[in-house]
Amino acid sequence: MLRLTITKRQEPLGWSSCLVVFGAVALSLFFSALLLGLRGTPPLEGLIVLFQGAFGSRWAIEDCLIKTIPIFLCSLGVAIAFRLQIWNIGAEGQFCLGAVGATWVALSFPSLPFWLMLPLMIAMATFAGGMWGLIPAVLRQKMRTNEIIVSLMMNYIAILILDYLVYGVWKDPTSFGFPMTQEFSDGAIVGKIGSTSVNWGLFHCIALAVIFWVFLRFTKLGYELKASGDSVRAARYAGIPYDRLVFLVMVLSGALAGWAGFLEASATINRLQPSIMVGYGYTAIVVAWLASLNPLYIGIASFLLAGLRVGVENLQLDLQVPAAFGGIMEGLVLLTVLAGGFFIHYRFELRGAKR
Amino acid sequence: MMELAIPLLAATVQSGTPILYATLGEIITEKSGVLNLGVEGIMIVGALTGFVVAKISGNPALAFFAAGLAGLAASSIHGFVCLIFQGNQVVSGLALTILGTGFANYLGTSMVGQSAPGFSPMALPYLSQIPFFGPVFFQQDPLVYVTYLLPPLIWLYFFSTSHGLNLRAVGENPAAAKAAGLSVILYRWTGILAGGFLMGLGGAYLSLAYTHLWTNSMTAGRGWIAVALVIFAFWRPGRAVFGAYLFGGIMSLQLRLQASGIPLPSSLLLMLPYLLTIAVLVFSSWKKGRSEAPAALGVNMKPTD
Amino acid sequence: MRVIKILLIAALAVGFCTTASAKEMKVGFVYVSPIGDAGWSYAHDVGRQAVEELEGVTTSYVEAVPEGPDAERVIQNMARKDFDLIFATSFGYMDPMLKVAKQFPEAVFMHCSGFKTAENMGNYFGRMYQARYLSGMVAGAMTKSNIIGYAAAFPIPEVIRGINAFTLGARAVNEEATVRVVWTKTWYDPATEKEAAKSLLDVGADVIAQHQDSPGPQEAAQEKGVYSIGYNSDMSAFAPKAHLTAPVWNWGPYYTKVVNEVKNGTWESESVWPGMETGIVDLAPFGSMVPKEIQEMVLAKKAEIVAGQAKVFVGPVLDQQGNVKIAEGSVADDQSLLGMTWFVEGVTGTTE
Repeated sequence: MLRLTITKRQEPLGWSSCLVVFGAVALSLFFSALLLGLRGTPPLEGLIVLFQGAFGSRWAIEDCLIKTIPIFLCSLGVAIAFRLQIWNIGAEGQFCLGAVGATWVALSFPSLPFWLMLPLMIAMATFAGGMWGLIPAVLRQKMRTNEIIVSLMMNYIAILILDYLVYGVWKDPTSFGFPMTQEFSDGAIVGKIGSTSVNWGLFHCIALAVIFWVFLRFTKLGYELKASGDSVRAARYAGIPYDRLVFLVMVLSGALAGWAGFLEASATINRLQPSIMVGYGYTAIVVAWLASLNPLYIGIASFLLAGLRVGVENLQLDLQVPAAFGGIMEGLVLLTVLAGGFFIHYRFELRGAKR
Repeated sequence: MMELAIPLLAATVQSGTPILYATLGEIITEKSGVLNLGVEGIMIVGALTGFVVAKISGNPALAFFAAGLAGLAASSIHGFVCLIFQGNQVVSGLALTILGTGFANYLGTSMVGQSAPGFSPMALPYLSQIPFFGPVFFQQDPLVYVTYLLPPLIWLYFFSTSHGLNLRAVGENPAAAKAAGLSVILYRWTGILAGGFLMGLGGAYLSLAYTHLWTNSMTAGRGWIAVALVIFAFWRPGRAVFGAYLFGGIMSLQLRLQASGIPLPSSLLLMLPYLLTIAVLVFSSWKKGRSEAPAALGVNMKPTD
Repeated sequence: MRVIKILLIAALAVGFCTTASAKEMKVGFVYVSPIGDAGWSYAHDVGRQAVEELEGVTTSYVEAVPEGPDAERVIQNMARKDFDLIFATSFGYMDPMLKVAKQFPEAVFMHCSGFKTAENMGNYFGRMYQARYLSGMVAGAMTKSNIIGYAAAFPIPEVIRGINAFTLGARAVNEEATVRVVWTKTWYDPATEKEAAKSLLDVGADVIAQHQDSPGPQEAAQEKGVYSIGYNSDMSAFAPKAHLTAPVWNWGPYYTKVVNEVKNGTWESESVWPGMETGIVDLAPFGSMVPKEIQEMVLAKKAEIVAGQAKVFVGPVLDQQGNVKIAEGSVADDQSLLGMTWFVEGVTGTTE
């Protein structure tokens, strides 16, 4: 009689873990295609439209890059937190507060020159986002509350704060009462690179990625973070007490999401309005899990998920597929990667039973 | 005052009911040691299933049961990923929420704006005549009456049946349970599937009783509140009832405050449920020195242990 | 020689195909919410379906597009795919559409509810408030408690304007009528909308009106055994015993007109705000519970409005604090209507 047993690998799969990720993504594409067929859309055509819409032209790639910027920054922050098994689900709210903080600067001091204005906006955005990330951290360490719920609730609260401001004191007098702030002055807008539609935020991302990589590679704390693996209950990392480390990580996480919020408000929309919130904070969770703590992988995964969003619009336009399809793919990718992770540490074996 | 209190409390019971179903479900799951953050996704799958089955079959009771099965099926994904494939429970739950919400919205987009047969309020004889309690508790729809039976049944299960006691043991100390001959994985599957069933029911309440409609993202965050309430309830069914009604009450209250003309900006009033959630979490942690959570919550048992 | 013949035929075939497809006009629609919401976007989509029926026209749409850069990209994509005419149906699409219009001078862009135009971009809206006024008359006539509940989504001018028109109509028929407003801060959450309606019913409202996209409030009214006024489309199917009437959109004829103008080359950029006279807004059929005299009274008023003899926002109109907002005898101009952020006397509620 044959039995299916599970044995632990002597050594976890190394480079072939990439294969696992690719395999998982392929599997989720397959299931997604099935779902398309379920609704009457020809699956292969659907996938082609998806890819073409995402990567099939110069404009599409530019559109992807524009979306990659906020996803990347949020993911970077979330990845740091996840590494320490601090489940920061609050990137969405931290992004929101970052946008709010940057807007405050833009609206309060509209005539500042850009070289003063932009750094000030960044400072305010990262401060606001950082503080929003600090609150769940403090509650976690001091009151032992679950940071998942707290950070999630704060997402909802952050959006309501944004609503309150744009419907109230920050409402543009010329917008016919619609909830949006005035358009930002030129000094508050991060410009586009050359003749492309991509803004300089891309360089912010690259710069931050490099800084991050240097941090991971060359500092004691960075090394310990990367090497920590599953064991996180160490009392100290690089001599920093655990409590303070949690605060630091969450502030950093929130600050990065806040930076993303600043860029969206400044470069992409040029004002603050409720539609700035499109769920980048939640996509960041998917990216952070896929890419672990590697800035290059985070960049690639962010680009791919940005591509998913852009491609899904094309699916809507050409094949009238509902917008929710993107969420299905994101969820499937994450689940298949999670399941696939099994094969890095274990394997199935068929054994003949000895009777 | 009484005239305002009674409708508010009756509305509270209704509005707390879907949350209560989901909270009770998550309690069962967590008691077995599994953290399932996919509640929101599972609820909405249940809501859509209930709606569609009711529309096709014309039988709301069948639809309600079908929704539970759908919730069970959805939660089984979490079971596979975590129990078999050792996936991280936190991330798996989140992924399930993303997937469930996307899936339900994807299939449900064409159903928006339609209505289906559902449940209507059914006053219980004699009981509904009791002053004050009658109108509040006994003039509700049948699904609410089901939730009156659930907490005591679940309590009995956990404290008086050997199956329930074993399930709790699995959640507290899986290694010891295994040594005592219990199949940890089987009990955890029970916890996940039973929990998923109830969560599906909670979602279906929204589309079969609370309203007879469907719209995208209908659950509107109630699943997450349920996860928080499990902590607030100290994993006890009785207290879960209190928590669910408290939340239902806040959600109903902010609308009624507006209706009675109180000039507070509605954005601020809308924050109340979320602020309250954080407050109850802080309160729960502060009140009890040690954690009431099942000791092995959230930790997968390795297959080669 | 044979090769040349084949090539010629092939070239002709291709040429024929391109000319054949050149006759097919591509019209695109951009929606801010899912079309199934039975509300705003649904009504626009019904209009799109009317256009789809036309000869030589194909339509396509993208729904749930957030305002801002996503909208810009969607409109751009449509333009790049050689769409000839694009409708964008939300205020926040205005700036993105303008940017794209400048890049694609060959295509025609139509924006709903905004005010910026270009040579190839026009805007349009409908005087829904006229239909609201009429529905208010019905509500005012049918209410016994003189409290009318209004479940509304967001305090934007169009919603506020609708509430005001509704209230003016109710009070024109019934001086004692008051309107209570509850903000749900959501366009489509039937559970919350129904709950909002219930909260109004609990404070004594016996007619429920809404500026929401789901029929949730209608259900609440029907369950309590009182009356309701729908919105966007005829909602009587959801609440047959309660639904008195509803102010509804009817975009089909207008969209057909624009498509034909673009097809014939007679289209010109303009800012239009047509009213009931064009049929773009209308009142749904009355429920059988509305007495004949009331029906006739309302229809008479409708005829006056259609003929241009009666206006809705004509003074004296006071706000909640008692200040005169529209002087006696004067008519509010379009600008003040479009930017309305105050409630008229008789409304209980904040505009925040």
